[in-house]
Amino acid sequence: MASPVAQFELKTLIPIEVGGVDLSFTNSAAWMVLAIAGVTAFLTLSMSGRRLVPGRWQLMAELSYEFIANMVKDNVGSEGRKYFPFVFSLFMFILACNLFGMLPYSYTPTSQIIVTFAMAFVVFIGVTIIALARHGLHFFTFFFPSGAPVYMAPLLIPIEVISYFVRPVSLSVRLFANMMAGHTMLKVFGGFVIALGVFGVAPLALIVALTAFEILVAVLQAYVFTILTCLYLHDAIHLH
Amino acid sequence: MTRYLKNSAAFGITGAIALAAEGALAASDGGGTLPQLDIGTFPTQVFWLFVTFIVLYIAMTKIAIPRIEFVLEERHSKLAEDLDKAGKLKADAEEVQANYEKALADARGSAHELVGAAKDEASKANAKAEAEADAAAVKKVKEAEASIEAARTEALSNVKDVVSEVAGEAVQKLIGVKVTKTELNKAVAAAMEAK
Repeated sequence: MASPVAQFELKTLIPIEVGGVDLSFTNSAAWMVLAIAGVTAFLTLSMSGRRLVPGRWQLMAELSYEFIANMVKDNVGSEGRKYFPFVFSLFMFILACNLFGMLPYSYTPTSQIIVTFAMAFVVFIGVTIIALARHGLHFFTFFFPSGAPVYMAPLLIPIEVISYFVRPVSLSVRLFANMMAGHTMLKVFGGFVIALGVFGVAPLALIVALTAFEILVAVLQAYVFTILTCLYLHDAIHLH
Repeated sequence: MTRYLKNSAAFGITGAIALAAEGALAASDGGGTLPQLDIGTFPTQVFWLFVTFIVLYIAMTKIAIPRIEFVLEERHSKLAEDLDKAGKLKADAEEVQANYEKALADARGSAHELVGAAKDEASKANAKAEAEADAAAVKKVKEAEASIEAARTEALSNVKDVVSEVAGEAVQKLIGVKVTKTELNKAVAAAMEAK
């Protein structure tokens, strides 16, 4: 029986090496490509009718759009309008990666810490640049909550600075850990089904329930990642 | 491995299951390290993440989002247009009703007027007829009075003639004097006058 974490191993499909750096097209990359192809196909084919009264697929596409549009509007405000395409792409990308990962024999790119960290880091850097561009040096008042007594500064400023710089870590680890834990758990119980023979029915029933739960987690974590991105954008634009 | 166990535990799975999972792990051939911590795979993953994400971002901004926005915008304007049209139709209907009511009120007003005029005319004609009747009556009364007067004068003159004749004859018979007719008339008129 394979290790429950063996499912996370990368398999090179097309070896590519540029300047001594391995940039091979792997199973993870293949599923990222499938994810973006799926999202693009979903959003363009469903809207191809451009019907005034939407059908089911068109309604789903419109609801995805309005869901993120409202999230950006409610959490960032009207200034967040120009960041909407990025937030929308981010949500659809994570959602598709998470959900495609629930297909048997598939691969979940978001179960890799480096993938989630790269996304979180881009968000972190982007948000910091937006904040600095908007507020200049005034941005650094963000690390000292207004209204707090001055003598609390030695305590508050380190806390605020740490919590700010921990953002990309917490954002990435949350998504990665959820994805990895869920898939590992399914694999472990899958092993039990084989090992217990006839009594494997019990873990099998559990797997069915867990699969539904994992689909919920897949959607929920995409939502959490996106809404935290919106909140960080809000902080960058409004400073508290 | 411990990290993965921690994650399982963090997920609310009991320690017993975690232990069983460890057993399953130990029995497997995979060994200890997590594939996620293999730094050698990082460049390719980050590279393909950026490639796919940038492609998705372009597809979203160039194709998907404009399409959805187009449909939503169109629906919005169509709804606004339809509401506008409905409002206009309602205003039209209200105008028609107002016109109808006005026409009705006008008709009622002119009917009143006609009735009033007819009444006036009728009462005028009435008054005229009455006046005419009065005038005719007065005239007849006057005529009657005149004929009565005439009859009376005639009667009186007849009486005078008879009286003067009787008086003339009486005088002749009594005193044998013949009195002229003129003198008789004079005496009769004086006697009647004195009376």
